[in-house]
Amino acid sequence: MSQEVTKEAPASAAAAPPAEPPRRVRVRGAALLRWVGALIAGLVVFGAFVLANGADPFAVYADIWTSTLTQPGQFQQIVLRAAPIALAGLAVVVPARAGLVNVGGEGQLIIGGVAAAGVALWLTPVASPWLIMLLMILAAMAAGAAWAGIAAAMRLVVKVNEAVTTLLLNYVALYSMLFLILGPWKDPAALGQSTSVELNDAMKLPVFAGTAIHVGVALAVVAAGAVWFALTRTTWGFRLSVVGGNAEAARRAGLPVVTLLLTALLLGGALAGLAGFIQFAGMEYKLRPTFGLTIGYVAFLASWLSRHKPLPLLLASLVLAAIAVSGNSLQIGSGLPAASVNILMGLVLLAVLGWTGPRKVRS
Amino acid sequence: MIIDILAGAVRGGTSIMYAGLGETISERGGVINLGTEGAMLLGALGGYAVTAETGNPWLGVLGGALAGALLSLVHAVLVVSRRANQFASGLTLYFLALGVTSLFGVSYVSRQINAFTPVPVPGLSEIPGLGPILFDHDPLVYVAYVAAPVIWWVLFRTRVGLLVRTAGERSEALEVNGYSVRAVRYCATVAGGALAGIGGAHISIAYANSWFENMIAGRGFIAVALVIFAMWNPVRIMAGAYLFGAALSLASVLQTSGIAVNQFALNAVPFVLTLVVLAILGRRTMLAAPDELLKVFDNSRTT
Amino acid sequence: MSTDAVARARGRVGKPAALLEVRSLSKRFGEVQANWDVDLTVLPGTVHGLIGENGAGKSTLLKMIYGVYTPDEGRMFVDGAPVAPGSPADARALGIGMVFQDLRLVPALTVAENIALALPEGPRLRLTQLAARITEASEAYGLAVDPSAQVRHLSIGERQRAEILKVLMTGARLVILDEPTSVLAPQEVEALFGVVAQLRDRGLGVVLVTHKLGEVRAIADQVTVLRGGQVILNAEDPGNFSDAELVEAMVGRRVPPLAVERAAVPPRDHPVLTLAGATALGDRGHVALKGVDLAVYPGELVGVAGVAGSGQKELCEVALGLRPVTSGSVDAGDGAAVAVPEDPVADSVVPGLTVLEHMVLDGRAVPRRGLGVDWPAVGARTAVLDERVGLHMAPTRRTLSSLSGGNIQRVLLTRELGQDAALVVAAYPSRGLDVANTRRTQELLLEHRARGAGVLMVSEDLDELIAVADRIAVMHDGHVVGVVDTAGADRMSIGRLMLGGVA
Repeated sequence: MSQEVTKEAPASAAAAPPAEPPRRVRVRGAALLRWVGALIAGLVVFGAFVLANGADPFAVYADIWTSTLTQPGQFQQIVLRAAPIALAGLAVVVPARAGLVNVGGEGQLIIGGVAAAGVALWLTPVASPWLIMLLMILAAMAAGAAWAGIAAAMRLVVKVNEAVTTLLLNYVALYSMLFLILGPWKDPAALGQSTSVELNDAMKLPVFAGTAIHVGVALAVVAAGAVWFALTRTTWGFRLSVVGGNAEAARRAGLPVVTLLLTALLLGGALAGLAGFIQFAGMEYKLRPTFGLTIGYVAFLASWLSRHKPLPLLLASLVLAAIAVSGNSLQIGSGLPAASVNILMGLVLLAVLGWTGPRKVRS
Repeated sequence: MIIDILAGAVRGGTSIMYAGLGETISERGGVINLGTEGAMLLGALGGYAVTAETGNPWLGVLGGALAGALLSLVHAVLVVSRRANQFASGLTLYFLALGVTSLFGVSYVSRQINAFTPVPVPGLSEIPGLGPILFDHDPLVYVAYVAAPVIWWVLFRTRVGLLVRTAGERSEALEVNGYSVRAVRYCATVAGGALAGIGGAHISIAYANSWFENMIAGRGFIAVALVIFAMWNPVRIMAGAYLFGAALSLASVLQTSGIAVNQFALNAVPFVLTLVVLAILGRRTMLAAPDELLKVFDNSRTT
Repeated sequence: MSTDAVARARGRVGKPAALLEVRSLSKRFGEVQANWDVDLTVLPGTVHGLIGENGAGKSTLLKMIYGVYTPDEGRMFVDGAPVAPGSPADARALGIGMVFQDLRLVPALTVAENIALALPEGPRLRLTQLAARITEASEAYGLAVDPSAQVRHLSIGERQRAEILKVLMTGARLVILDEPTSVLAPQEVEALFGVVAQLRDRGLGVVLVTHKLGEVRAIADQVTVLRGGQVILNAEDPGNFSDAELVEAMVGRRVPPLAVERAAVPPRDHPVLTLAGATALGDRGHVALKGVDLAVYPGELVGVAGVAGSGQKELCEVALGLRPVTSGSVDAGDGAAVAVPEDPVADSVVPGLTVLEHMVLDGRAVPRRGLGVDWPAVGARTAVLDERVGLHMAPTRRTLSSLSGGNIQRVLLTRELGQDAALVVAAYPSRGLDVANTRRTQELLLEHRARGAGVLMVSEDLDELIAVADRIAVMHDGHVVGVVDTAGADRMSIGRLMLGGVA
């Protein structure tokens, strides 16, 4: 008897909105259009800024174009710049999947670089280069993870938002590094700017034959692939997205929420530490006051531009690296400060955030 | 020396207080603005440039406030109207401000201005101890003494304040009563940015009396953290800001007294202090967080 | 149609104008016709009962009257004059006041501040002055409220009084009460009806939205029944209809009573759940559960009654091991527990994930294939559950967060009640469901009881608890103040316990 009653149940199913139509292709196209629109909007506003500063925006853009895309070797420069951005971007992507905002890439990268430099400094006389390189990688990742771990602990124990704490930790990392290179680790031979001692040639990252591209670039690509696999194809990735979507639901489903949040942030920190390692052993070879400057922030922008997806992140990193590289030529060509290209990056992300965010649903 | 440190605390804490008061208004309305750092940067340059061009530091304060308000207006557009993630928008605006100030700031580096000078309060500045600590400062310090209690009064004793607090606690209650959540949040965010701009201007035209790239050096982020352990209360902001002022002034006071301490170790002190205070008090003070802000904190993700 | 509506309205000229007259309102959302040609007339000095099932279109109608939605078609008249409220503020200016079911008070503010928010007065808050006016009004209407109390610290009943007071102080002549009794103890309901009667005697119009027939009989002068978005009975005298006829009007068919005869509770063995002096903190750090002693034995269904916010949520979470006890002990044995969450959307829905992806979030081991989840296996498992539970949940590829509250509840009920566990904890299991699905859910809980599980069921509907539970634990202010055998229990004595009195 009661079974017959329940058969009529779908009446209230009608109250639900209709299923979403298949619209993958259209969404792809629209997303591409928004990207192009965001880039154009960024270029136009940036042009206005340049004009307001008394320079000719067309000349500046022509300058950027010829210097970044037509000069031989520039593409390699862009790729080299993009690699740490991509790794530090993954440090935003992984925690973001768990609903965490890691703004600490900057500090985690610096601490990773510091750890790598420390290992090189202490062990160069006593160990083989290959062992040192391995230890540098491990130390950089552990240091980055530990730095993120402070923020993770504060989020989990004291419930203070990780965006605020990771930002503060960036400054602590920066001043710690400055303390070292202007104090105990100062290279007595350095002229002018204080730096640490340069890395021994045997421990610099090897390059691919005939190019300037070091193996750190391959490391970044492999890491992006691994993160993509872990997030989309494993139980861990699925659980992480449950925690990120609704931590209470995850807790009630018996998921180890604390462990998941912790691993996401620690893994993020380790990836940023790895970025610090390749920046140190592949690019700069020594710590200087500007070591890794703004890479963490640019990586944050790259992660948001790619909507926290690992593979598009590689593309976003390349684009932002190209803009960053063009900043140098801007300084030489037009006399504008190199940091002005930060405006362009910021504008592009603002346009993307504003145009592609979730809309308010009017009820 | 104690008096030097305490006087330095008041002077150095003033910019953080302005930014913290502004961020309190914004967060009471349910919007967290990491762009506070950027608004301070713009305020510092705006204040410096206007002072340099007009020769009047008070116009500089106005310029700083406008610059900070403008940046926060962009934040409001993104997070209130376009529903962008508040942390991402704020940090992007910081980055944007970093670029804008380095582009437009070049011509002001090493330019001389007619900066604010200390104005001892007649009579009060003669009090031994208290006088030099509290009453021998630039005018913006005195304005700050009044600003904190006034902002407290506005938040808790006026209709405007009630609307702001409701926007941060339960915004649908505003709509039910015929107010626009959007308008209230725009106003709170922009007012917060204007105050951060004044805080930035204080640094360039009253504290350092110069402009250089990235001169705010994280004070804006400290202000954001300060709001949390001040429990979103303007009067506590005042106390907290002076604490950080003390940490900041420690470095310069020690240096001038010839005590050899690595400057960068001292520079890290305010940030470490902030983290330690958050670690000790954070759990308790987070209980006082406005409900809608808590939602932003807890579910920081948007796709 | 609208000219027709005007003609009908004009036909009333000469009689005292209705306070509110709604003619032929229709509203459509996508493919759903939420309201179709709905009429409603409320006369001054009357209490008008508006009844219907979940999803019958009551809240759509109310939102159109209150200016939240704009009707697709139809007219509204206040005092005989055509109106079209475009916002709640417009509606309030017309003298229409609404007391929402989930109350729109701001918990962090005081009662006086909440009322100040609704009053169009000067830029300065004169709270002392306002407090005096509130006290005056609360005495006049018999709505005792402390103006300086923070709403967060008030009981649900007090909040409701504050909200009604707010509506009255803003000058409402028509007061709409949306399911006001669902969160109250019987005594509080009587007090509320006392206030309603007083408002009626002062010439105000009251619309009482409910799905309880007893309330309509107790206080309503007229009743309008909605079903499927349409008016089934229009402003009838409830005295002319039997309960069965009213239920049939609401549901559209006869609903057989729940089978009464069921197996006796087996002789007491080891309990599946034992709480001894269990004390726990709530989310805001206050003590929410205060030394609770309670045991649930295999094969029995223990109901939990109490005014909303008396510690039911914390009781469930402590029983499930989701909330630590600060003192005392909890023993839920080693058998698995299944749980129907207190607040489905907040507690169990992950935005963006599909129904299928939610089906593995049940605390059981996830079927794996390699490093990932074996989704086809989950799909097969889900089909079995759906068949067994019989609540006909939505297709598994749908995004759960896009479904209506009732459909979300059916998915979660299917997931949870489809499993066998030694302990079943169900908080408000029939929330958002229509009569038929509510009935099926109650049967499911009884089936779990019959196979020997211990069932703990929280409900705010005393009649539901009396119908299905073996014993009812009554909560007040974090304590279990009494455990009543359902056989021979009466509503009023349970109600006294709910309010903290002695049975």
